[in-house]
Amino acid sequence: MGSAHMNDRERLTVAFFYCRNIPESGETERQALEKEYGPSIRLFPIPCSGRLDPVHLLSALEKFADAAYLIACPEGACRYFEGNRRAGKRVERTKEMIAMIGLEPERLGMVINTKKRPKGLGVITAEILERVKSLAPSPVLKNSRVEEEKPL
Amino acid sequence: MITAEQKPLDEIREMIAPYKRILVLGCGSCVAECAAGGEKETGMLASILRMAAKMEGREVLINEKTLERQCVKDFVILLDDIIQDYDALLSLGCGAGVQAVGDCFPEIPIIPALNTEFLGETKDQGLWLENCLGCGDCKLYHFGGICPLARCSKHLLNGPCGGSVGGKCEINPEIPCAWQLIIDRVEQQGGFERLEGIFPPKDWSKKQGLGPRRIIREDQQR
Ligand code: SF4
Ligand code: SF4
Repeated sequence: MGSAHMNDRERLTVAFFYCRNIPESGETERQALEKEYGPSIRLFPIPCSGRLDPVHLLSALEKFADAAYLIACPEGACRYFEGNRRAGKRVERTKEMIAMIGLEPERLGMVINTKKRPKGLGVITAEILERVKSLAPSPVLKNSRVEEEKPL
Repeated sequence: MITAEQKPLDEIREMIAPYKRILVLGCGSCVAECAAGGEKETGMLASILRMAAKMEGREVLINEKTLERQCVKDFVILLDDIIQDYDALLSLGCGAGVQAVGDCFPEIPIIPALNTEFLGETKDQGLWLENCLGCGDCKLYHFGGICPLARCSKHLLNGPCGGSVGGKCEINPEIPCAWQLIIDRVEQQGGFERLEGIFPPKDWSKKQGLGPRRIIREDQQR
């Protein structure tokens, strides 16, 4: 079962905001992924990555996530023209903001799908989970985690 | 509109440090248009400040609310019912908004989260330009609708200075020479004679000299 790997996954919760145009990102696929990963992922479909308000990334970090990622369509493939490019700039700015309070900027990110043979949602989420697995649990959530752990 | 930019986070954090119950107050008008103090920016700042407090293990209540305008009392009184829950206000209004809210609740310290910059226009997405100094005696007609006080680096009323190169200002080559713009515009409108006289030195008494200005309109009063 590769238990070390499972522990890594269980340690962190990652929020994914993804553009609905990403392949294999329908309702059934979403449910299957949630079942597979359990509480270590939270999936939020959005109509276009350009619609993502950085406040959503921040509230994910504030409330439950150790990392929050935006998954966007390839450059030039955005249905709403330039949504993904603008989103990229906003994510960069939001990373700078969290860095100013001492959070690792890697807790936020944006992944742009490949143009040739675009990947499905499951593949991209797995890649991102791999990328963030070396992060420590978020210091923002440490106190709430302690509270949650008390009853045990 | 009035433009502003958010202060450095460290400066804001230092100012709010003594307080335990903070209301982060946005303004939905000018500063929302320039993406400095609207609902979104207010939400982001509040969220960042809450995270910072959690990381330090500090118990601080930080809530957010955005008024349609902070500089109009009719909107500020909407805080009457909640203000007693807080020991400080962090305002993302312009300097006028900060003071208007502060005057309504003199017992509570109010902290500016923005640096108020200038009166200007939204030129493009993400680009704001200063174009009026609020001089109190508008002469735009004479200058083809382009203000030499706000847009000429030397504030010349009888320009150009002779230093502009390729239509750019000699003080700051990143900006267009206001006098080039004025002459082009006036020429386009066929009103060149408007520029032929000598404009007397600006009478600044309409802007400053008697302290802060007031506008009184009896027809608008209660
Ligand atoms: S307080 Fe008034 S003047 Fe200032 S930004 Fe808000 S609406 Fe504009
Ligand atoms: S002359 Fe210039 S500074 Fe004075 S009111 Fe008109 S635009 Fe504003």
